[in-house]
Amino acid sequence: MPIIQAHGLTKFYRVTQKKEGVFRALRSLFHRQYKEVRAVDNVSFAIEPGEMVAFLGPNGAGKTTTLKMLSGLIYPTQGSAQVLGFTPWDRADAFRRRFSLVMGQKNQLWWDLPAADSFQLHREIYSLSRAQFTRTLGELTELFGVSKLTDQPVRELSLGERMKMELIAALLHQPQLLLLDEPTIGLDVVAQATIQRCLKDYNVRYGVTMLLTSHYMRDVEALCARVLVISHGRVIYDGPLARIAEQFGKSKLVKLHFENDGVPTDLERFGEVTHSEGPVVDLKVERTRVPEVLGAILERYTVVDMSVQDPPLDQVIARVFEEARVQHEASSQSA
Amino acid sequence: MQVLARYLRLYFALGRYGLARELSFRVNFLVKLFVEVLWLGVLLAFYKTVFGKTTNVGGWTEPEYLFFVGCYFALAGLIEALFLANCSEFAELVRTGDLDFYLLKPIDEQFLVTCRDIDWSSVANVIMGAGVMGIALYQLDWPFDLVRALVFLLMIACGSAIAYSMLLLLTSASVWFKRNQSLYELWWLFTSLMRYPREIFSGKWASPMGWFFSFVVPILLVVNVPARLMVKFLDDYVLVAFTAAVALVLLFVSRKFFRYALRSYRSASS
Amino acid sequence: MKPVASPHDVDDAVEERGRDPQEEVRSLTQSRIVRVARKYGNILRVSLIERLTYRGDFFLSTILRFLPMVTTILLWQAIYAGAGEKPIAGFSLHEMIAYLLLVHISRMFSSMPGLAAGIARDIRDGQLKRYLLQPIEMLGYLVSYRGAHKIAYIATSSLPYALLFFLCREYFDKLPDFLTLAAYLCSLLLAFVVGFFFEASIGMVGFWFLEVTSLLYVVNTLNFFVSGQLFPLDLLPPFWAGVLKAMPFQYMAYFPAAVFLGKIQGAALVRGLFAELVWGLVFIALARWLYRVGLKRYSAFGG
Repeated sequence: MPIIQAHGLTKFYRVTQKKEGVFRALRSLFHRQYKEVRAVDNVSFAIEPGEMVAFLGPNGAGKTTTLKMLSGLIYPTQGSAQVLGFTPWDRADAFRRRFSLVMGQKNQLWWDLPAADSFQLHREIYSLSRAQFTRTLGELTELFGVSKLTDQPVRELSLGERMKMELIAALLHQPQLLLLDEPTIGLDVVAQATIQRCLKDYNVRYGVTMLLTSHYMRDVEALCARVLVISHGRVIYDGPLARIAEQFGKSKLVKLHFENDGVPTDLERFGEVTHSEGPVVDLKVERTRVPEVLGAILERYTVVDMSVQDPPLDQVIARVFEEARVQHEASSQSA
Repeated sequence: MQVLARYLRLYFALGRYGLARELSFRVNFLVKLFVEVLWLGVLLAFYKTVFGKTTNVGGWTEPEYLFFVGCYFALAGLIEALFLANCSEFAELVRTGDLDFYLLKPIDEQFLVTCRDIDWSSVANVIMGAGVMGIALYQLDWPFDLVRALVFLLMIACGSAIAYSMLLLLTSASVWFKRNQSLYELWWLFTSLMRYPREIFSGKWASPMGWFFSFVVPILLVVNVPARLMVKFLDDYVLVAFTAAVALVLLFVSRKFFRYALRSYRSASS
Repeated sequence: MKPVASPHDVDDAVEERGRDPQEEVRSLTQSRIVRVARKYGNILRVSLIERLTYRGDFFLSTILRFLPMVTTILLWQAIYAGAGEKPIAGFSLHEMIAYLLLVHISRMFSSMPGLAAGIARDIRDGQLKRYLLQPIEMLGYLVSYRGAHKIAYIATSSLPYALLFFLCREYFDKLPDFLTLAAYLCSLLLAFVVGFFFEASIGMVGFWFLEVTSLLYVVNTLNFFVSGQLFPLDLLPPFWAGVLKAMPFQYMAYFPAAVFLGKIQGAALVRGLFAELVWGLVFIALARWLYRVGLKRYSAFGG
């Protein structure tokens, strides 16, 4: 039984056109012009309990908007969704108790108070029993490694520590679903890794379903087995992370290690030389041509070692987004 | 009942932490307190100066007017202590999108938006205003009447409810008027109507205005009705009942409007 | 609620954050006249666009701004009725209301919302370094910036205020003669000087104390009363009236309005204007001295 089901979720916005200059501003005082923006366009998917799923997409792709619709913060223009058995935008009390939304770089905690006080307020808000609260808080502060920091005012903590406190606050009432919007944005690499580890641990231990949006590949690779790639409001891929390269990668990376004095100089006819250092050459070869290219090279030259890999995932994704953008611009111009 | 207990507990917790936070900025808190005392001083100086030159204002004699001043100060202080600061942040919450966080909690949004913090320095206003009212009653040799005092307190509650509802209506409008037209500015304009006895609205074009602000947009009832009830012994039961009814209606209407504004926010935000 | 956030103060508030350092450096290399013209033109243009962009706001604030004036007029009518319609402290009802309207005009010139707070903030944030590194003098810069902004503000407010004064024309029984008018304009210009350098001096306190905003709060609340914004200072008992009239704060509201109404004539008028000039110079000196001393302290502590 899926914990989240979305059918044809769509969200359009009307944006007013602001004009430059005094005369145009005067005119717009009486007559406003609008432009329609499609933030989310017919998005459908289903997520099972316990899954860790990523929404991957460039800025403005519609990830945050989709997440907000699933939280009930925004009404969709069209489509439906069922989350934890509720229609999110009805915002039933029981629904709001069962999930959490955490947004990167946005602070839900009271700024001047120690985190411990914010947690106490959370306890009152969610009506948690003292025993349950103390136990959960103890587990969480241990998991995130912040037991000694909870009495410091939140504004004195580092960004990474603050994010951990935010996550603790989000998990205090033991939600079944955790929604994360760019959770590691703005954090340094070490903090990012820590957060990723904590989330992974929590998911393994308690089976909480997690849905996160990000444009960092590292988040996605560290946490999620399944990825939904979103571009211009549309889902262009829904499946395991591992197969993205297969589906979208047009080329493969062939690493060749030649004999010290046998490095060929005419490799360009086989593909693109992306890296060359001494006897080691990286060659980007069109996927379909790989067997043929390998055959030709092995025939002509002495190869000490070689491997065939997918190119780095973020390159693949970046190219996918670029293509989608070009396509979108072309279609909106012709419209 | 359980729900009420829950909200009360939450309110106490919020109040407690709010006080701790405010006291941690001790100098700031004392200065704010001092300024409130100064402001009362200014109001009283105005009152004293005016009554040095005239015998009555709109039919209110000197001690009666003093009571009115105390009543105004306490009521305005009550609204400022409990609601004003919270409501004035609403426009910013809408602008930044941080309002979302309040929408996610399993707590009534109106409660969170309007009640979440207590401005403790304005609480002193309520106490000072009550003091001024006490002095005025003493000067009037006020005959103690328990029923009258209780109805007075009821009218204070109704007046507060009317002021709160108008504040909520203004606050909700911030969803559409996206610029941060400071709510403090609008509230200042609102209180300027509340500050004087209704009787000054007499004359050809002022009377209809007075009628409008008493019965259509009932700002003038907020301080006038409790004060008149207490010191002028105008036993206008109709007006008292009307005030109570208007308070209830406005609470209902403002809540509906607030929820409508939230719906609009949620259709538009991205 | 304290009257520190009057419609004036909000509308007239200068967007301190909008200052562009690049723009300033660029403008320094041009001739002075071009610089000044460009700056004034720019501020005016931005202010106009800003006001026109937020259209609902524009209409609403214009209407709501004048509501307190209505209640004030009604209140004083009631006060005069209780006094038997006789003049109070030499002011007839009409003169009283004219006075309260004129105080708005005085405040248009003398109120400096955000000035002291802005200076204190610059000191606290370290933005002050800009004035140390570049060949511009802070006070001079702020005066011209504020002056340009005031002109823009007066220009855009002139229509609604003209409307208000037109509606209230019955309260102005007689208009001042040419000489009085000239004196009135002088007093307004000097009110700008007094107001500016007084607030600037308060801002300079930021060199020594962090919490200038608290001080401002207190000062503004007191000033509301002692400058004569609530009623003409003549209403006070003679001793207090004398004390307050010897202080500089009256020039920010009471004095220009009283001059317009002809309450201060002949020798007293000349003396008053002269005293206003002296106070202006005193505050200029005070602000500059505080700035110099504060700057020394600031550099000593590394800022």
